[in-house]
Order: sequence, then structure tokens, then C-alpha cells
Amino acid sequence: MLLHTLNRSPLSPVLDQALAGMGPEDRLLLIEDGVLGALPAQQARYASVAGRVYALHEDLASRGLLGLCDPTVRVVDIEGFVALTEECERTVSWY
Amino acid sequence: MRYAILLLDAPYTSQAVHSALRFTRALLAKGHVVDGVFFYHDGVHNAARLAAPPQDEPHLVDAWAELAREHAVPLQVCIAAALRRGLLDEQEAARHGKQGCSVEPPFELTGLGQLVDLGLRCDRLITFGP
Repeated sequence: MLLHTLNRSPLSPVLDQALAGMGPEDRLLLIEDGVLGALPAQQARYASVAGRVYALHEDLASRGLLGLCDPTVRVVDIEGFVALTEECERTVSWY
Repeated sequence: MRYAILLLDAPYTSQAVHSALRFTRALLAKGHVVDGVFFYHDGVHNAARLAAPPQDEPHLVDAWAELAREHAVPLQVCIAAALRRGLLDEQEAARHGKQGCSVEPPFELTGLGQLVDLGLRCDRLITFGP
């Protein structure tokens, strides 16, 4: 099981590359501008990895998006980010 | 666990440096060992000794140096990426006939082999890109 981090918004073609590179158990952590993908209106873009999407609390807060996430997206803080890297065998960064 | 960080972007450019700093601090707070932060591509600008940001902004170069001092985290800078961007320590400045240097300890100029070594030696390698 790998962790994939993504710092690009849902408009970026990098999202398609990340999704194409993800295995069936892999998790996706949205960071920086990537957290825009946690909004309910964007969830169709993330359908193939639904239930395996995380978003970074600090980056949501700095963009005024806390409390606006889709209920299927799990919000983790920086300690949660560390925990995800512990649990996953390797981390792949998409940017 | 043993961690290594790879940072690929310059300070005051994107959020990458802030993300990497916050993540590294969280690792140390949790008791993990950080075997090295490797600065590559535009990330080598993090080692700019002469950086002088406004006083009301975070001093990102000093923030790395502070981490190195307090937690003995090695700060390794790719020498090939650094030289072509004008980032030279005393030894390299002398060798290339330049006055003054732009990199000083705790940052150290090192080869790409060190990144390979970190990847092999550490349990986790986390990349922060632009």
C-alpha cells in the first residue's frame, strides 16, 4: 500500500497522472492547492479512489475551506500526514 | 523510523518549503530520526547564506539551520545543482576564483550519491516538489 501526495488542484492534468498511478489499496493525500479537491462539487473527479482520499487540515484552514469538505474525504493534520507515511510502505509525490 | 526529506523548490516561490519544514518538525516532535534533508533542483536556494527576507516574514534559510542545530539533521545540497545557480561554499568559491561564498554550514555541498544513500538507508523518503 502506497501513499500518494498531490499538491495540484482538480483542474490539473497531474491529478489524472496520480489517479492512473494508484493501486487498488493506495491512499491519496491532498496537500497545498490539492485540498481544493476535497470540496463536494469535485468528487466526480476522484470517484475511482473514493473512500481513500485524505486532505491536510492546515492547508484547508489556510484556504478557508475547513468544514466545507465532502463527507467521504478524511481530514488529517500534520501528525496524521506523518502517521500515513508510517503506515504506507512508500510515498509517491505528485506535483 | 528513519526518514529522509527531498526538497525540490526554492524558498518564497511555492508552498513546498513551508510544507517540508512543517512535516520535518512534526517528524522530530514524534520522535522519528531525520537522517537528512536533501536539497535538489531549485531547492538548493534554501542554502543561500545571504538571504535577507523582510523581518516580518519567516526566514526559511534560518529555519533549516535551526533544525540542523537543534536536532542534528544533516542539510545536504546537491553540488551540481548549486554551482550552476551561484551557490558555492568557501572551498568551491576558491576553486572557481569567486570572491565570497554563498553557502555555509550547517548546509553542506554534496553529491547526488548521498541522495541515493539516503533512499537506501532510510525507512521513508518523502519528496516535496514545486
